[in-house]
Amino acid sequence: MNILASYNWIKEYLETDLSPEEFARKTTDAGNSVEQMERVADRFDHMVVGFVKAVNAHPNADKLKIAQTDIGRETVDIVCGGENLAEGQRVVVGLPGAKVKWHGEGDLIELTKTKIRGVESHGMICAVSEIGFEKIPHQEKEIWDITHITDAKPGTSLVEALDLDDVIFDIEVTSNRPDCQSIIGQAREGGAVMAVECKIPKMQIPNSKQIPNSKFEIENKEPELCPKYSAVLMENVKVGPSPWWLQKRLLLSGHRPINNIVDITNYVLHEYGQPLHAFDADHLEDEKIVVRKAKKNEKIQALDGKTYILTPEMLVIADAKKAVAVAGVMGGETTSTTEKTTRVLIESATFDPVCVRRTARALNLYSDSQLLFEKGLSTQATEPALARAVELIKEMAGGSVTATSVFESKPYEPRVFAFESEKAKALMGIPMEEKEMKAILERLGFDVQKNGNVTVPYWRDHDVENSVDFVEEIARIYGYGNIPARLPEGTLSTLRQDERITWELRIKNILAGAGLTEAYSYAFVSEDQLKNDGLDIDHAVKLRNPLTSEQTYLRTSLIPSMLTTIAENQTRFSQADLFELAPVYQVKKNAIPDQPSRLVLAFYGKDGAMLFARAKGLVERLMRQTGMSTFEWTRLASADMNFHPGRTAQVHMSGTHCVGTVGQVSKETARAFGIDVDVVIGSFNVEAMREFFTNANVFTALPQFPVVKRDLAMIVSERTEFQAIAKSLKKMSTLLDSCEMFDVFRGGEIESGKKSIAIHLSFRSNEKTLEAAEVELELDRIRDVLKKDFGAMMRE
Amino acid sequence: MKNSLEQLKKEFEEMMKKVTDRAALEQLKNEFLGRKGKLKSLMADMGSLANEERKTIGQFANEIKETIETVYGKKEQEIDAADEGNREAREWIDISEPGQFPQEGHLHPVSQAIAEITEIFSRIGFASVRVPEVDFDYYAFESLNMPKDHPARDDWETFFVDAPETSKGKLVLTPHTSNSQVRTMETTAPPIRMINIGRCFRRQIDVSHTPMFHQFEGMMIDKGVAITHLRGVLDYFAQTYFGPKRRTRLRPHHFRFTEPSFEVDISCDVCGGDESGNCRLCKSGWLELGGAGMTHPNVIKAGGLDPAVYSGFAFGWGVERTLMMRSGIKIDDIRVLYKNDLRFVKQF
Repeated sequence: MNILASYNWIKEYLETDLSPEEFARKTTDAGNSVEQMERVADRFDHMVVGFVKAVNAHPNADKLKIAQTDIGRETVDIVCGGENLAEGQRVVVGLPGAKVKWHGEGDLIELTKTKIRGVESHGMICAVSEIGFEKIPHQEKEIWDITHITDAKPGTSLVEALDLDDVIFDIEVTSNRPDCQSIIGQAREGGAVMAVECKIPKMQIPNSKQIPNSKFEIENKEPELCPKYSAVLMENVKVGPSPWWLQKRLLLSGHRPINNIVDITNYVLHEYGQPLHAFDADHLEDEKIVVRKAKKNEKIQALDGKTYILTPEMLVIADAKKAVAVAGVMGGETTSTTEKTTRVLIESATFDPVCVRRTARALNLYSDSQLLFEKGLSTQATEPALARAVELIKEMAGGSVTATSVFESKPYEPRVFAFESEKAKALMGIPMEEKEMKAILERLGFDVQKNGNVTVPYWRDHDVENSVDFVEEIARIYGYGNIPARLPEGTLSTLRQDERITWELRIKNILAGAGLTEAYSYAFVSEDQLKNDGLDIDHAVKLRNPLTSEQTYLRTSLIPSMLTTIAENQTRFSQADLFELAPVYQVKKNAIPDQPSRLVLAFYGKDGAMLFARAKGLVERLMRQTGMSTFEWTRLASADMNFHPGRTAQVHMSGTHCVGTVGQVSKETARAFGIDVDVVIGSFNVEAMREFFTNANVFTALPQFPVVKRDLAMIVSERTEFQAIAKSLKKMSTLLDSCEMFDVFRGGEIESGKKSIAIHLSFRSNEKTLEAAEVELELDRIRDVLKKDFGAMMRE
Repeated sequence: MKNSLEQLKKEFEEMMKKVTDRAALEQLKNEFLGRKGKLKSLMADMGSLANEERKTIGQFANEIKETIETVYGKKEQEIDAADEGNREAREWIDISEPGQFPQEGHLHPVSQAIAEITEIFSRIGFASVRVPEVDFDYYAFESLNMPKDHPARDDWETFFVDAPETSKGKLVLTPHTSNSQVRTMETTAPPIRMINIGRCFRRQIDVSHTPMFHQFEGMMIDKGVAITHLRGVLDYFAQTYFGPKRRTRLRPHHFRFTEPSFEVDISCDVCGGDESGNCRLCKSGWLELGGAGMTHPNVIKAGGLDPAVYSGFAFGWGVERTLMMRSGIKIDDIRVLYKNDLRFVKQF
């Protein structure tokens, strides 16, 4: 929440000669962050008051006129299209050099002397929207007639004529400090920071007993939701435009001037931070206000012109018959003040913040008042604001108070907490005298008593809720910048880094190092994504309030998001190797969902068989580098519908634990995701792998005797798996150290249904250097086994 | 014999003069000094000589051999030098052709940031923990001093699971990483130095918000932890992650689970902390990093510890924001982070 705060306005309450920059810095450091600062006068540079002496027709354009305008030192011709342009008007003249928003749109443009349709124009007569005052009620093609606002001589700078020499701070106010969402709040804070006392007058509304014929009735049926309701009735008021000084303040604060009564409620809202509402008392049935909950389907036309249908959780202000305002949110159209109004009822109340917030959200109806109420305001803030409004109305609209009513659900008890200076000092970590701490609290309006207790000022009765809150007050006024930085010393924590984090990071690094690119997907998936991958919706965590139907569930598998990623990238990149490591979420009854980590690898491109080999090679590298060297591959023949029936395998640890599956995505699944390329997916259960992760490498002594290498090539049937051959040879030959396939060949001279494979064999003994003859003997045995057991035809 | 040797040497020197390339040089060397070369065959006749004479001739033959080798060596150097001289012409490559190396992999920028942040904090004893990302309301809100009617606990700010309420409240998709605070205090005796980096979820999506994002949460609980210590840790992180010249400042802020609460700003890298408002990036000399504060006594109590004995601090910042602030990458639409457009990820 931000407030536009005029420095001149603040200075009505706070005596200071600080430059705006210094003020901004000090108040920012104390918590009221000035995000932007505007010197208002800069906006009106090169703008002067002009007096229209004569209006002549433009020779070349029907819609344009030539205004003979006195700008002080001379009278010049200005071409102008304003429909309301008339002789005798005082107007705003933008001279060459002035910056205006052309027709109220786009960026600022610097004016130059220019010819318009053949006639020289010595400047521009400005409309409100062209100089940033678009909130002044106006017609589209009208220039701003300031005849009634100023009687300054022609040529007077606009800044001087309209008293625009001010600085506006755009200040961010934290949600716990609605009291700072006001000029007085900002003055108070400034005073505390600079150790200057603020001059805030104590104002009171006329006592009802002093008014003999007071007859207005207020009935509060919801004292919980409306702990305070104060109102005054004023009669014989004259509704009309506000004086310029007030309009100007509102404009610079971001409000729209409407009429003096509404303007005053907005003025006080901005000055005191307490929302007010003005009703036309003549439109309130039976001279009565009822604070109650809305009836089911009760309707109200709000000030924004729209009709809202209310529900019984909402609080309304009603008269004897109908709702006249959504309490704390917005007033109703039918009881608003108009130029005919002579009797106004001004309301200053406190509403339950949660009720206001929920009502506004439910109706999608927001206002400055609602924003303040939902932060929580003090019941004690209503009367000073109301008194200020009465004062201003009397001054600007006349009339007098004829009735006053104050409802308070219970007598106010200020908050009191013990203050422990030692604890405060310890938490700040700096030496500070108790006296100094107390002085700071006093400056902020806290009442420090002799017994050490501290009374909280009413405007802080929502945000200060504990003794510890005093520390912040002291520290921020003392200045956080004055608190030194010190690295903590002392005993180190017994907490250790979670092993899961260590290993997952290592896995990611291995994969990226191997050339894979990491994907990061939302944890959400749609029902379709789950279904397209054949996943059971009942096991998925369903959101009660998803943002979109695309994000209704939490994923139970990383595969659907990965397939979606591939579908979206396949036209940009013809092939890619990807991975994602993230948790999945599994429903658990009466408990938080299981959130185990999963790893998905994806290789897409043209040739599924080649992609499989690529995936397998990568997986083997990953396994070895995480200490899982004792794995085995098994064919998954009855693969589920998601995988290719002939190109899927599982990875097992210690023969039993399946830790993952690698396989080509089935045509059916690929089609469901709109994928046109071949995809091989590796899906791994990181939780199951975890028990095998290790950094402890086993060292095998380096061989003392040399290896003898031989190659063999053979033709076997297509379905003869290399792994079976290797296993069998290793089993039969004690001299065989390793058996690796280095080539496979199909087609050509090889008959169909068969393949040619070539293997490297390494022989070694731990006892001696092998003789050539011994190796030959072993090779013969191997050839026999290959022929007999695998039907191999040896190629020499 | 001696004459023959002299003759051989002369012959070699003559022929050597005509040699211009390495192949001819090698050939010549073989012809004279090789296993079946002219010198060898001449020497083969030596057996017929008398001992005394053989010795003299032998010595002489060696001298001739050395001379020939010297001549050969010189010539070799000449050729080498000539080779070196025109190597550029012969062995020139086009260095603008694409390099070849096994394909480059890419860690997602968020992963990179998480790894780095984890590492930085581990150096000052903050251990990285993991807590559930879908958690009980109790850990996400209730134990963090957030009243039942706090706006964050409303349906329009936080995601809730469509499941019956448990004894620890509704199930929520954690909107911050702060559920690690009480969870860690429950399992670890002080002193505690913890860091938790995880996914968070909020019901917000626009150019600067994604419904899923990451935060890193730090917490220290010990006896005598003060604002000075928080400042020390913040400065350490800012200077390690962002660079040694960066400064931090604290501004008062408001969070339910810390008191006092701060907004942490870091001096702008572009203008170096110029407060004149002229910097194109920061406008004030400072950039907003995130929230921090001294752990609220109610939170310490909820963690089963005595706030009269222990105090602490906590901070929680967006990983994405922190990452973008350092690299100076201006991502117009932050949603690109989780779209998995490979053209994006491959840039990191």
